[in-house]
Amino acid sequence: MRALCWTGVNDVKVEKVPDPGLLNRQDAIVKVTASSVCGSDLHLLDGYVPAMAAGDVLGHEFIGEVVEVGPDVSRRRVGERVVVCSIIGCGRCRYCRQGTWSLCDNTNPNPAFLETAIGHAGAGIFGYSHAMGGFAGSHAEYVRVPYADHNAFPVPENVSDEDAVFASDAVPTGWMGADIANVGPGDVVAVWGCGGVGQMAMKAAYLMGAERVIAIDRFPERLSMAREKAGAEILDYEKTDVLDALKEMTGGRGPDVCIEAVGMESHGKGPQYAYDRAKQGLRLQTDRGLTLRQAIMACRKGGVVSVLGVYLGWVDKFPMGAVVNKSLTLRSGQQHGQRYIPRLLELMSQGRLEARHLLTHPMSLDDAPKGYDLFKNKKKGCVRAVFYPFNGHKSAAA
Amino acid sequence: MGAKVKLAVAAVAVGGVAAAVRRRRVAKTREWVVMTVLREPRELTGDARPDALARLAEHHEVRVTAAPGGRGSEIAVRPATGQARESLRAVKQLLETGEVLRVEGQTEGRRTAVGRAVLPAAKRLARRSA
Ligand SMILES: NC(=O)c1ccc[n+]([C@@H]2O[C@H](COP(=O)([O-])OP(=O)(O)OC[C@H]3O[C@@H](n4cnc5c(N)ncnc54)[C@H](O)[C@@H]3O)[C@@H](O)[C@H]2O)c1
Ligand SMILES: [Zn+2]
Ligand SMILES: [Zn+2]
Repeated sequence: MRALCWTGVNDVKVEKVPDPGLLNRQDAIVKVTASSVCGSDLHLLDGYVPAMAAGDVLGHEFIGEVVEVGPDVSRRRVGERVVVCSIIGCGRCRYCRQGTWSLCDNTNPNPAFLETAIGHAGAGIFGYSHAMGGFAGSHAEYVRVPYADHNAFPVPENVSDEDAVFASDAVPTGWMGADIANVGPGDVVAVWGCGGVGQMAMKAAYLMGAERVIAIDRFPERLSMAREKAGAEILDYEKTDVLDALKEMTGGRGPDVCIEAVGMESHGKGPQYAYDRAKQGLRLQTDRGLTLRQAIMACRKGGVVSVLGVYLGWVDKFPMGAVVNKSLTLRSGQQHGQRYIPRLLELMSQGRLEARHLLTHPMSLDDAPKGYDLFKNKKKGCVRAVFYPFNGHKSAAA
Repeated sequence: MGAKVKLAVAAVAVGGVAAAVRRRRVAKTREWVVMTVLREPRELTGDARPDALARLAEHHEVRVTAAPGGRGSEIAVRPATGQARESLRAVKQLLETGEVLRVEGQTEGRRTAVGRAVLPAAKRLARRSA
């Protein structure tokens, strides 16, 4: 079959690879209908995630059709249309049972990478380096799904592929950002980053009762999407001082909840950004912390900072003083998708939640390298490029 | 990008884990490998002891105690070798999920010569050390 492989830093290629087979009795093989790029892939492309090797298949946000099930799969059936959570859970360890699926004890067969780097290993993730288990990703015609009963969810008939594909990752991640911050009626919520994840966090915040949502980014097309599709007020951080603006907009209090949906490759202006870039370039810090610092500084006293953006190592100049003296609560995590996906599909089916506008660039799998170029460099208004391995989608890049 | 860089990237992974393992050896203070399994101690001892645990006990000292607050059982194995760690993890997976998850034999694209050489070693280290 064809699959998109990582071949080196900022280098990906479509290669011919062997078809996947069942490796465990609880596996399923899913024929991929659509597979999306995600901001998390950029950390792999840019070489910030170690433990990648040439030949690794990328992709973790996808839907498809079950074409084969192992003998111990009981809930999923051949022929079902499913969305698969990007992060793999076993469903039966203490963490999965508690709903903290991305902390699963049993789905990362290569735990030492993370145990060494951060103390403990989290769950395996499709197409996300050997440190996250070394699972082949979904930018391929077929993908093997471990513990299929727990990780693949049937999609209601009236939900389109274009909505459902994002129920794998962007939607549950955004939802979790608001959920772990306990967003509720009357809250003012600020969201850094208007990518798929940030936009879904905005929608979730409103659905949980937030009164106002403020979106921060610099790309006009993303900001206007946040305004039109998520109903957010918008701030362009290149044109406004974000901290000043947020204070003004909130009567001097600051937002009740600050959701960071940018991550370790945040972009910015001024000496702090130059400092971060230089240090990261020299590997003196692994992660740029600009938006994280800003979210902490902006947050109201006693508020919650919810970090969805991926950080993998250390951040310099972390404003611990603000955390302590403003009694802030810091929440974070890789997404616990399995906990939210059934409910999110239901909301989609009822027409209360929509994600398909994120899909700006449908493409054939053969055009995936071009798709990553568009997405990484935010060219042509690309918010998410989605690859269709089986129908020759005319490249939207043309 | 040049072939050299690609090889370097693959090598970094192994280097990192190997270095960690070396550090661990130098400062070796741990005698036991201990993991918590979501099973009652009575399900793991006496007549109820699962085969996988019995096999582990053939070459290792194995201790089972209740974890606090109904968090299952703490299984401790001595000596704390890489093999013990890998085996105990497999026992835990088997007891909690009914199988040991495999990644060997997965789909992959073209590996570089260095990738082919170092990946299996890196994975072995990644399974065993901590
Ligand atoms: N926690 C999880 O489980 C999980 C899941 C998916 C993605 N993520 C992470 O979430 C983050 C966002 O993902 P995405 O797919 O939306 O990515 P994306 O690249 O589409 O969006 C990131 C956005 O952040 C904006 N940005 C950059 N610097 C900024 C700044 N200083 N202030 C405000 N905005 C800024 C960019 O312009 C861009 O629009 C990434 O770090 C990704 O790794 C986490
Ligand atoms: Zn993702
Ligand atoms: Zn689990």
